[in-house]
Amino acid sequence: MTAFDQASARKLKNSEQLFTGTEVDKGMKSAEPLITFRNVCLDFVGRRILQDINLSIGRQEFVCVVGPSGCGKTTTLRLIAGLLQPTSGEIVYNGKPVREPARDIAVVFQDYTNALLPWRTAAGNVSLALEAAGVPRTERPDRIAALLEKVGLGNRGEAYPSELSGGMQQRLQIARCLAQEPSVLLMDEPFGALDAMTRQHLQDQVLRIMDQSGTTVFFVTHDLEEAIYLADRVIALAPNPGRVAEVFDIKLPRPRNQLTTREDPEFLRLRRKIFDFVQESEA
Amino acid sequence: MKGLVFPLVALVALQILAMVWGIESDNLASPVSVLQAAWTAALDGTVLTAASHTLSTTLGGLAIGGTLGLLLGLLIGLVQPIDRLLTVSLEFLRPVPSVALIPIALLIFGLGYRMELVIVAKGCFWPILIMTRAAIRGIHPRLMEVSRMLKLGPVARIWKIFLPAALPRLFVGLRLAAGVGLTIAVTVEIATNPYGLGYAVMFAQQSFRPDLMFGMLLWIGIIGWSFNAFLLFAQNRLFGRAALVGARS
Amino acid sequence: MNKNTTRTGKILWLLASLAFAAALIAGWQLIANMRLISPVFLPGPDRAFDAAVTGFESGELGGKLLLTVERMIYGWVLSSILGVALGTLIGSSALARSYFGPTLEFIRPLPASAIAPIAITLFGLSNASVLVLIAFGTIWPMLLATIHGFAAIHPRLTEVGHVLKLSRLETIWKIALPNAVPDILASMRLGLTISLILTIVGEMLMGLEGIGNSILLAARSFDAPNLYAGVILIGLIGLVSNLLLDMMDRRLLRWRPSR
Repeated sequence: MTAFDQASARKLKNSEQLFTGTEVDKGMKSAEPLITFRNVCLDFVGRRILQDINLSIGRQEFVCVVGPSGCGKTTTLRLIAGLLQPTSGEIVYNGKPVREPARDIAVVFQDYTNALLPWRTAAGNVSLALEAAGVPRTERPDRIAALLEKVGLGNRGEAYPSELSGGMQQRLQIARCLAQEPSVLLMDEPFGALDAMTRQHLQDQVLRIMDQSGTTVFFVTHDLEEAIYLADRVIALAPNPGRVAEVFDIKLPRPRNQLTTREDPEFLRLRRKIFDFVQESEA
Repeated sequence: MKGLVFPLVALVALQILAMVWGIESDNLASPVSVLQAAWTAALDGTVLTAASHTLSTTLGGLAIGGTLGLLLGLLIGLVQPIDRLLTVSLEFLRPVPSVALIPIALLIFGLGYRMELVIVAKGCFWPILIMTRAAIRGIHPRLMEVSRMLKLGPVARIWKIFLPAALPRLFVGLRLAAGVGLTIAVTVEIATNPYGLGYAVMFAQQSFRPDLMFGMLLWIGIIGWSFNAFLLFAQNRLFGRAALVGARS
Repeated sequence: MNKNTTRTGKILWLLASLAFAAALIAGWQLIANMRLISPVFLPGPDRAFDAAVTGFESGELGGKLLLTVERMIYGWVLSSILGVALGTLIGSSALARSYFGPTLEFIRPLPASAIAPIAITLFGLSNASVLVLIAFGTIWPMLLATIHGFAAIHPRLTEVGHVLKLSRLETIWKIALPNAVPDILASMRLGLTISLILTIVGEMLMGLEGIGNSILLAARSFDAPNLYAGVILIGLIGLVSNLLLDMMDRRLLRWRPSR
């Protein structure tokens, strides 16, 4: 696929998207949303963590969630993952309420070191997802090799996680998630612990892989620029209790580029707008 | 609370079993008769005599073995060349189990207090040696630099910097060694030495008194457990979380 | 300083350390020769060595050594299997942990040899009895380490299991047990030490043929050379088995970050 094809494919997707939320509702109801939050509230030991969340996420959409710490970003992600249940309201995925984890929803955890099996090699870690999905033993090696190749770990299959750098470990976790052939990829501050160069590199890698696979991405981050750079839509949460404060549409052209996109006046305008907004809500 | 359910249910079940089928014999006793025997043994002084022998041997062995272990541990901890020189010798001596020394101690001292003391001391020597060495090694290099900058003499260095810094871990070593010492004392008594708690159990077994045998085992459990709990309490009281760090590494 | 000089430095220190050990043995020989301690209590290393050679030549000592090592290994393997299996049963359920945990913690600090009189009561003075003594005296570290390994799984790994929808058995086999392996290996090391101790105690108590019993008989007949030869052999059993465990650790724990 050429860069041009990728770009047009992504644009096509954008045009199909369903925008709900507070700001825009363009009425392009060509497809049902993939994930819907309906009046979701969550209490934890007597404290309200999330208040009345209403959200829709379209197929193949890339949504980033930003907000100050303690606003329930990660909690929202864990609700979609089925690792948490709401106190009231419901989360609907593919027309059915989420009650437990689903095999086609993958989670990339922030603390990759804890989320990998330290006693399995890189290949073994990817294999775990294939084993869980019941892929026959004979088919696994080829698929593992392809997945590792995709995240740029083609020659590190026999390495143990402790022998890999932080960036490599996180790519390995992404490879394991891709092995699930997910419809939805949930990413919880996946690059938060990495240095700036590695982070940019991985951002582009994720964009490229998502373009190829057409996966829906729900991406939690505290880095506003990262959110704008990656997303079709940025959702800003406000704390105490966590609620949706604002939704921003990102209409920057794809494919995006670390230099040109970040210098785009629209990028700078969005950055200013979201930054001001978050500052305000935090004050 | 839940932890008490299992032992209580098991004991009641055993008692019912004993009463219905009458398993009382030369080999087995019901929980109630075990408790009775344990109670009688406490009243007639059997427990006190036996426990005082075992505990005094444990503490004596701990004092002798612990002191030697502490001194050698300080030496190899502070002077690295000596540590390296002793590596092979220590690695060869360490795996010799204490109980293997029973016959040697028996040959030299005969049965009695002294042979048991020597073996307990040998058993306490190793944990203290290893923990002392680790404690000295675990002192942050910054403290070493501080002591050098302050121009402290070697005695002041050990007394004012190293020992206080290493104390929490040393106490962990002491606690471990005390546990080992008690275990070894009882083992020596069970294997050969006709004194103390271990022998009391063997004597009950040999005179076909299963109630007394289990009763004395119960006392060993209670005494061992309280000994351990007391040392743990002292450790937490004296060093709090500092000792926890030492125990983990 | 480059890598080469530190390696030669290490070898030199090892040689020096060996030389020191040799000097200790020479010192022992000297003390024995000068009769500073009565030869009844302390034979020289030469006499102990002679006794070992004679013992091996007659085949008697080798046979006893084999019996002792066999007992130690049987008991250790048995207790390891039992300990890990039982630990898995208890450890994989938080409910079971809360019911059985406190009882096990209570029993843990008790002297393992205290099981000996019970074993004799139930099985008499026999090989089976020694095996019961070793197995039940040695089981605790493995049992508790397995339970602990299950309890100490990082919550993130549990979540990975949930998200991948692993079954309960798969979770135990692929996540919980491998997670417990370092703990289990460390406990098996301790277990082997306890197993050797209980083998010797058992042989002494029950008068079964083996090194443990033979050193006790040697002491009773004031046969110091054979006594010392036996004790040294027992030390060697401990040393060699520890070295073998080191190798096993290195093989099984390759994935751990190098210390």
